This record gives sequence, C-alpha cells and structure tokens, in this order.
Amino acid sequence: MERIGGRKANRNKGQMRIIEVILASFIIVFALSFVNILASTPTSPKYEATELEKVGYNALHDLDDQGLLARFVYNQEWENLTSALRVLLPVNVYFNATVYDLNGNALNNAPMFYGDPATFAGFKNIASVTYGLVGYPTKFNATYYEATYVPRILTLQLLRGS
Amino acid sequence: MRKLTRNKRGQFVIIAVLIMAVMIIALAALMNRAVTYYTHEPWEEYLTLIGNIELSSNRLIELSLTNYTNAATPDPNILKNALDQWQINLTRIYPGRGVSLNYSNYFIVPDWNKTSSSSKATASFTVDIASIGLSGYKFTATAFLNLTVLATSTYQINVTVKVEDGRPLTNLGKANFQVSNSSMSFTIMNVTGYYDQREALVYTIECNQTITTPITVSVWDPRGIQVMAKYP
Repeated sequence: MERIGGRKANRNKGQMRIIEVILASFIIVFALSFVNILASTPTSPKYEATELEKVGYNALHDLDDQGLLARFVYNQEWENLTSALRVLLPVNVYFNATVYDLNGNALNNAPMFYGDPATFAGFKNIASVTYGLVGYPTKFNATYYEATYVPRILTLQLLRGS
Repeated sequence: MRKLTRNKRGQFVIIAVLIMAVMIIALAALMNRAVTYYTHEPWEEYLTLIGNIELSSNRLIELSLTNYTNAATPDPNILKNALDQWQINLTRIYPGRGVSLNYSNYFIVPDWNKTSSSSKATASFTVDIASIGLSGYKFTATAFLNLTVLATSTYQINVTVKVEDGRPLTNLGKANFQVSNSSMSFTIMNVTGYYDQREALVYTIECNQTITTPITVSVWDPRGIQVMAKYP
C-alpha cells in the first residue's frame, strides 16, 4: 500500500514539474512579446536619411509605374499629388515636394507638403529624393494624341516626425 | 509498452527541450531584427537611381511611339531625336553623379493594315554611373501594342488588344476604338470584353449599322499609341 502511495506521489511530482515549466514558458514568451511591442527602435542619424530616401523613392516609383505621377505633374494636379504621397508615405514621415523644369525653375504654384514647413528649415536628418520624368501624352480629340517631351525634376524632401 | 510507461522523466526532458528551443528561436529572431535594422548597403542607394532611369527611358520610348503613330506624316528620326535629347537631359536631372547613357539597336516599326497589326518601338541602353564606378549596366526598353481582328458579324466585331509580353490590355471602352470601311465611319454603340480561354480577353465592338467588309479598325491605348488593322 505504501509502495503504491509512493508511486502516486512521484507521478504527481512529475506532472507538477511539467505544469510549472509550461507556466514559466508562458510567462517568458509573454514578457518577450511585451518587450517587443514596447521596444522603440533607435534612430540612427547616419542611416535615417538613407532609409527615408528608399521610402520616398518607392512611393514615387509606385506612382510612376501606375502612370499617375506623370499625370499629376504634367496636368498640374498638385493637390492630387500631395494626397497620393500622404497615402503612400508612412504617417510619421513629413514631406515637402517641388517640381522643377530643367532650368531649375519651380513649377508648382501651390506648395506640396505634409507637416510643418518650418520643421524642414531646422532639421538635420532630411532625406532628399530626385526623380526625373520625361513627358506625358495628351488626348486632343477621339483620334489624335500628342506626347510632349518636356523633362521635369521632382524633388521630395523627407523627415521622420516623432 | 512497459518501457514507455516507465520513462516518464524522459517525456519531461523532451518537453523542456522543446520549450527552450522555442524560446531560443524567439530570442534569436529578436536579436537578428535589432542587429540588421540599420545594416547599411551602399549599392541600394543607386538601385533607386537606376530604377528611375530605366522607367523614364521606357516612358520615352512610349512617347516616341505615340507621336509616331499619331502623326499624319511620321518623322522617321523621331526616336533617335528623343534619345539624343534624353541622353543630354539625364546629366542635367542628376548633376554631379556622372550619369552617362548610351543607346543602340533602336527602331520603330508600325506593322499596320493586316488582320493582326502592331506598333512597336524598342531601344537598348547602357548606363554608366561614374560616382560609384558602375559601368555597363544594360537594359532594353520596349513599347508594343497589337490589335487583332478575330471575326465580324452583322453588327459586331471581335478583337483582341495586347501589350508587351502578349498581355491583354484591359479597361478599353468605345472611346478607344474607331471602325470604318472605304465609304463610311461606323458609330460605335458599345464595347464589351469577355474572357476567352485562348485569347484571355476579347473585346466585342458593337456598331449601329450593318458592317460591310473590308473594314479598318483602329485602337488607341491609354498611352496614346495607335494601331490600325484591316479585316479581312
């Protein structure tokens, strides 16, 4: 009888160990995921601009690939361009876009920015993307199109807000 | 079976090892993310520049083909002139980067007035970027549009419209087509597309008059490139 009781006690001890381990592992996994959520990735002043350049270029390339960037620039749809960039760029990335001709004259009469323009003046880690466009076809009537070859330069300044 | 029931400690060890392995993998993933988040790869900066040059060169070929196919008397040097201009302007768009663009094997071929007609322009490019010591980056830009008249009935014409790589062009409407014969131009009532197992997408052009062959069908794609096909 004593032997049977001893076996039972040993068995219970083993089960408790497993339960303890499972509980402990749950606590560790929970702690790790909690740390992962709270951890804010440090910004590196050296590489921050490079990261933003990539983000900005990808946004412009996506717009150009869909044929929207040339339409916005050559039809002077500045508000649409600003809205498209606001949708494509992350919420915490501020931007200031300007369209130039080949002689360096700014062509957008309406400013295209998101965030406070004053921030761009006093901020060090500003990324700048230069994007070239060649031209855009215009439909004159149902049976006649004409494409104008007039290159434009779009510069996009980016900075990450807090 | 007896052995299995005896080795209860072994089960505990296996479970413990499995849980520890999961924890180690989780930690490793976390550490890897922390280490590689800001890994600097200098070549990535220039991929963006090359990507822009490639896409813009492609747009240039499309613009040249648009102008060529829409002109009453097409200029045979239209593509060469545009390429020469682009070569010069590229250095103005990216000053100080040492960007140099060379082109070769360029041509514009309108192959019209057949049942299956097409407009095609192509050029091969070589890019050098002196600031990073890159030379000889090659790519080919092509603009292509094909129109094939499959069949006609009393009021309807079935056609396919394809772009580069034989991909069917979607979202075309009656504003994109024109139908005529030797004596008149037909009014297009409606253009609908349907799936075809062989052609993928077939457009049905519905006219308001009885279609008498031979007919000429023209199409303009959203880039403004035109193709004219004749049937039969």
